[in-house]
Amino acid sequence: MTEASIYIDLRFARDLYAGPAIDEAIKVFARFGEFHLSEAPDAWCLRLRALRPAMTRRLAHELANYALGLTVQRGGAT
Amino acid sequence: MQSAYPDIPPGLVAHDLTAAAVQLQLDATLYPLQAIYGAAYIFIDRCYVFLDRPRPEQVRVVLTAKGGQADPGALRALVGEFANELLSCAWRHQVTLDNRVLLETVTMQAIAGAMGQPSLDDLASFDFSDQGFDDPLGIALSWEEKHGKKAPATAVTTDTAATEPAAATPGEESAP
Repeated sequence: MTEASIYIDLRFARDLYAGPAIDEAIKVFARFGEFHLSEAPDAWCLRLRALRPAMTRRLAHELANYALGLTVQRGGAT
Repeated sequence: MQSAYPDIPPGLVAHDLTAAAVQLQLDATLYPLQAIYGAAYIFIDRCYVFLDRPRPEQVRVVLTAKGGQADPGALRALVGEFANELLSCAWRHQVTLDNRVLLETVTMQAIAGAMGQPSLDDLASFDFSDQGFDDPLGIALSWEEKHGKKAPATAVTTDTAATEPAAATPGEESAP
């Protein structure tokens, strides 16, 4: 997790996180911030910032937790 | 991130007090991914959990306190509890793998038993002829087939009886 100015970049490894879980997490948290999802060969890259800048870090943590929970519930990344 | 726990081998755990986070490097050959998922799932209500793979054979787990502040002792306790839970999940995963065949067998028997006994109609319409059936003891034969009355004597039998000498009556027995 890297933070530049008001944005935070998250890299979700493809073999650890399910893509649909990340999509679902973004949908759930869409009303709290701004999200830009891109793909790397080995990861999904998410750049985000909260509508309230002070909450950006917390938003990133909550979204990552949610995506991990959905991934586990789906039985894994594949 | 810096390591500050003398009771943990160096390079495995590092913490960042400003971020209230502690990270744990796991050997993926020792801990299966399902065990890591299991332990992480248990901890997502207590802290923020993030998984990363810095190297193909390694998984990095980052635990961040939800309050945003944590002292080294609290982070040490957090990572210690996570490691314990991880070991428990890994062991349960191994037990599940070892007993997979037994579990599947018992489950199949339970499901088959829950279907109930077949009705008379089911039995009547069941096609027994499509299975190879080896019955050397004649168990599948009906009672009539096995012990029933024999068929009436045929003409051949009658002829045979006619050629046999008639049974001697008591009065006709010859003396020695």
